[in-house]
Amino acid sequence: MNNFSYILAAQPDEALRDWTGPGRPAYLAGGTNLIDHIKLGVDQPQRLIDVRNLGLDQIEALPGGGLRIGATVSNTALAYDERVLKDYPVLSQAILSGASPQLRNAATTAGNLLQRTRCSYFRDGLSPCNKRQTGSGCAALGGFNRTHAVLGTSERCIATHPSDMDVAMITLDAVVRLRGVSGERTVPLQDFYVAYGEDPAKENVLKPGELITAVDLPATEWFARSYYFKARDRASYEFALASAAVALDLREGLVRDCRIALGGVATKPWRAHAAENALKGTRPTEQAFRAAANAELSSAVPRAHNGFKIELCRGTLMQALQTTAALA
Amino acid sequence: MASASDSSPPVAPVGEPRDRVDGRAKVTGRVVYAAEAPVRNAVHAVLVSSTIARGEITAMDAASVERSPGVLAVLTPKNMPKLEYVDAKFHAEKRLPLGDLRIYYAGQHIAVVVADTLERALYASTLLRVSYREEPPVLGLGDPAAKIEWPKGEMTGPLQFEKGDVDAALSGTGVVTVKQTYSTPIETHNPMEMSATVAYWENGKLTVWDSTQAVVNRQKALAAVFGLKPDQVRVLCPFVGGAFGCKGDQWPHTFLAAAAAQAVGKPVKLMLTRQQMFTGCGHRPVTEQTITLGADGQGRLVALRHESKSDDSEVGKHIEPCGAGSSAIMYATPNLAYTHRVSRTNIASATFMRAPGENPGTYALESAMDELAIALKMDPVELRLVNYADRAPHNGLPFSTSNVKECYRLGAEKFGWSRRNPEPGSMRAPDGARVGWGMATATYPAHRFPNQARIRLMLDRDGGVRAIGAAATQDLGTGAYTVFTQMTAMLVGLPFERVKFELGDSNLPPGGVSGGSATTAGVGQAMSEAAGKLRQAMLKRAQENSGSPLAGLTPDQVVFQGGRIVAANDPSRGVELSAVLKGGPAYIEGLNEANPAGADNLPAKQKAYTFQSFGAHFVEVAVDERLPIVRVKRVVSVMDVGRVINPKTAGSQVQGAVIMGMGQALLEETHYDPRTGRVVNDNLADYVVCVNPDVRSIETYFVGEPDLLFNAIGCRGVGEIGITGIAAAIANAVYHATGRRVRDLPITAEKLMRPA
Repeated sequence: MNNFSYILAAQPDEALRDWTGPGRPAYLAGGTNLIDHIKLGVDQPQRLIDVRNLGLDQIEALPGGGLRIGATVSNTALAYDERVLKDYPVLSQAILSGASPQLRNAATTAGNLLQRTRCSYFRDGLSPCNKRQTGSGCAALGGFNRTHAVLGTSERCIATHPSDMDVAMITLDAVVRLRGVSGERTVPLQDFYVAYGEDPAKENVLKPGELITAVDLPATEWFARSYYFKARDRASYEFALASAAVALDLREGLVRDCRIALGGVATKPWRAHAAENALKGTRPTEQAFRAAANAELSSAVPRAHNGFKIELCRGTLMQALQTTAALA
Repeated sequence: MASASDSSPPVAPVGEPRDRVDGRAKVTGRVVYAAEAPVRNAVHAVLVSSTIARGEITAMDAASVERSPGVLAVLTPKNMPKLEYVDAKFHAEKRLPLGDLRIYYAGQHIAVVVADTLERALYASTLLRVSYREEPPVLGLGDPAAKIEWPKGEMTGPLQFEKGDVDAALSGTGVVTVKQTYSTPIETHNPMEMSATVAYWENGKLTVWDSTQAVVNRQKALAAVFGLKPDQVRVLCPFVGGAFGCKGDQWPHTFLAAAAAQAVGKPVKLMLTRQQMFTGCGHRPVTEQTITLGADGQGRLVALRHESKSDDSEVGKHIEPCGAGSSAIMYATPNLAYTHRVSRTNIASATFMRAPGENPGTYALESAMDELAIALKMDPVELRLVNYADRAPHNGLPFSTSNVKECYRLGAEKFGWSRRNPEPGSMRAPDGARVGWGMATATYPAHRFPNQARIRLMLDRDGGVRAIGAAATQDLGTGAYTVFTQMTAMLVGLPFERVKFELGDSNLPPGGVSGGSATTAGVGQAMSEAAGKLRQAMLKRAQENSGSPLAGLTPDQVVFQGGRIVAANDPSRGVELSAVLKGGPAYIEGLNEANPAGADNLPAKQKAYTFQSFGAHFVEVAVDERLPIVRVKRVVSVMDVGRVINPKTAGSQVQGAVIMGMGQALLEETHYDPRTGRVVNDNLADYVVCVNPDVRSIETYFVGEPDLLFNAIGCRGVGEIGITGIAAAIANAVYHATGRRVRDLPITAEKLMRPA
């Protein structure tokens, strides 16, 4: 473990100012990911700027409906918020399906958006990894890759994005509020994550020093019919082998609109546009659900050990769709 | 979770279901583990591990490490003090750490960095520059480059065995045969407490706090390696946070901590990281077992062949005795053969892990027995009853006691086995999931190591009598403190509350490893002998008073009872213990004689009997139709382990073993990179063990009788038997649910999804 300095910022602007200075900076919130990486030697920031004291820990109702979730609202507080439980159940379910109570108490909303992969070749600090060391290669391609991604991969990286929360957030049309030295901007969450492309180290559109201040959820009535389903080897405290977040607008026996996202199978929280398009306007039957899942998974690329995840994901999505459709 | 261990007849005479004497201290964080040793001014040692699996260190540059702030010493193969590799039997490996430049496996210790703080030691350890000459590693049982050995077997009994003519019997007319290969992956113990050592030297004497299953073996090994007399070394280990075998033998880090303490002249604390726990203290090796069964029309086994392969590093010493631990023992057959083969690979050294041999052996044999039952269209319980053995097939010696039939009967009754539809895929849960019921036999031998123990009686300040029992044994978290407190109370006839027990210190009367489920039986025998000596001493003192009611009696004619020492045939004739102790020395003590055979001469009895425990598991699983992930819904386990001292802690041992076996059956596998040989999932997020929601109903029951041939207490040990057979019972239930036979553990979704 290397020495680092620690700054507790009191205002967002102060945090932004603290970012510039000698030595590599990093924002610290819950630390459930960053501290691991420092211990493992995966990341070696020289200055930690603690952003837990910026007054960004509230969940507020937006004037026109919807919620504004402060960047440092804990996963626990968010999961048990009554408005979330009622209007966005998929979000609460997704959060509670992940990690452990202790981790959820510490982890924050913005921190979860920036959660990094569990790929063991990334985390060992040693193997070739384009995400950790640009251009060094990808040890997972020819290595043990049972938990790796089947969607959004390239020959440079097949690392899975591990979050549950973000998968639910994507289905809820979440918008990320950002603040940088040149002012504020908003980015829809589905555009916040970038495809790995040329540089797997580049995971999102954040500019250096830019701070996430909040996540906004719109008021969409039918998001109350939403559900998160997660498949994994053991019954709790494990990252998803495959997960699906689903929201359905069901009227007169037809799927008028829907949001579908997949977790545990892709290099980013995966908005399943092809599945949504296949499902819109159909009757919610097993056949339609299968067609939707097939539409999304036709582009999946299996590797040596993770081929089963395509079939598992198909089942997971169908299960999620069936359960959501059956909700009262 | 239900436990009915204390409520259901028929049971062996059991003691009281006591809470753990150390329970409150444990849950309030007040017990002291090795890394928390109350040692002032300890400095910190960090291990540097090899990143390659095979080759040689060509250069090491430690200059920048030595210059790093706070660094006190760097030990490498270049400057490591020369130690003597002696007393091989206590060592986990065939070499001493940092003894040469050869690399045998990834994760091998190649340097120790000592600094004033842990953080500075960790940082400095990253500055070590190492150059290697790499060679392609040998990985896996199938690697053609692996050196093959056919061990004879010393401790385990013969490992290459044939009785009768298996081939001839298998080719007999009307013989139904099953021949299948089963495999189990490398599994890692992963106790909560990582292995740790705190070592310091004072006036040429070495004191070591070590997380260990054997304080006396550690003492002997350290003394031998450092050229000291045993009484110049003291090893302490009052509490262990789980071990399961990985703290049984002497692993290199303990030597390194002691050598580092010597080098810096200060107490040194060294704790393995979780990652290092995957390479620095052993694991269960990979196994591949081919079972061939032949049965006549009635299901009687006419032949059984069990061919077993396992691996170990070139410097490892472990053989996984799969056949010797299962097929040698379990079923009557006139023709029996088993073989064991070891491949030398560049994977870290293997070791005992909870029921080594018996565990993977019963997985294979009990899976094959299920396949045979199906081939014969017989009920799996019936097939086992038909093949009941009243003596061990490999040596022909009768079991001292065997109540396995009662285990089957009670287990089937409690589980509701008679309602099972044998047709695979025929049973469903209310939610539509496929339901499967499976069963298997459990078995584990009774071991006993030479022990001494002492019991002291003394007057308390309140005038009452107090007893303190003591032995240099260990409590791995099993409840040994509690069980020996109960045993002491029983032996001296005092209430539980007036008794204490001390262990985990090599200064106490010496004992063996807490492994092989041997602790309760071995220490129990010693305690019983010590109580005899105490009776003798107390009687002698009582008889010093003129007119003693015990005058003329011999030690054999008196017993401790209700706080008195009384004539066995007339309890009204006796004296209060307090009266005997009054005005005397600080305490009166009984200490049994050092005698490897025990006063009862166990080796002689082992020429006439096989001492073995048996049990049965009954399991229900549910498997979702679309997402074939197996969940264990309920388990009924019935064990015959002789006398049960504390049904609560014994029940916990069986429950814990069942949970560990569920992990083995469905989740656990240590993965290695196929190119580098490095562990890929060396943390508790990626090495997946059962968590609370995986654990539903586990009922445990005990049947049988005290095994008084085995020791004076009549107990056979309970730590390991629960993890034998359970993986097979689950695999058999999965077959019953799905019609899919998975012959390689763990039974994960992809294996149930692959084409039949």
